[in-house]
Amino acid sequence: MQRKTNEKAPERRNFLRAAGTVSTLAVAALASPLMARKAEAYDPGQEETKARYRVTVDVKAFYRTNRY
Amino acid sequence: MARMKFLCDADRCIECNACVTACKNANEVPWGINRRRVITINDGKPGERSISMACMHCTDPPCKAVCPVDCFYQTDDGVVLHSKDLCIGCGYCFYACPFGAPQYPRTSNFGSRGKMDKCTYCSGGPEADLSTAEFIKYGANRLAQGKLPLCAEMCSTKALLAGDGEIIVQIYKERVVKRGYGSGAWGWKTAYNETIAT
Repeated sequence: MQRKTNEKAPERRNFLRAAGTVSTLAVAALASPLMARKAEAYDPGQEETKARYRVTVDVKAFYRTNRY
Repeated sequence: MARMKFLCDADRCIECNACVTACKNANEVPWGINRRRVITINDGKPGERSISMACMHCTDPPCKAVCPVDCFYQTDDGVVLHSKDLCIGCGYCFYACPFGAPQYPRTSNFGSRGKMDKCTYCSGGPEADLSTAEFIKYGANRLAQGKLPLCAEMCSTKALLAGDGEIIVQIYKERVVKRGYGSGAWGWKTAYNETIAT
């Protein structure tokens, strides 16, 4: 008895193999910049961290009344 | 440079909660969040004391140390602020804070947390000073207006002191000379690694 052979099977396997390789490479390409980037702390900049406290009339009045 | 600090004179606090109300009103703090709270120690017993407590803006803030997304920063005034754009609401800062300052709005019925909210020393956040975006996210920026936090300015018995650390220590020392030491500057050792020597 002769065994039936599917002529299309090797083609399909090759296609799946190629698709798997391509997707793995794509994921690796996308992930590499994320993995390579150095962890950085949030740097708000000089404008955000500047001192806002001023000794105004309002502040002086607060200190004066607290001494009573 | 001036270093902003809070000092609650527990011998003067009458637990009126005006600081809590003033804070909520000035910053339009959402329901379920109190940036400032009044706690009572030894309730109903001799020596009972009440302390108004919020973020103390620590010198070496533990919240900043544990934040996985590094959303905290300190201004040149020593005020500890955070970016709500970066915060992921993980809750680490709440567990690290010795004063229980970080608060989280309830965003769903299943206990999920929103972005962390805490006292900003009435100095807004990373957005442009006195902008609408800053007010919506962080509340008032009184420091940029040349004022001090409203909780302290509102205190009727002058128990809650805010402002330049050196000046408020001087004011506290003057009180101590008049009336005796009392209960001391609560939380100062934890927050600023110092006590007030009198």
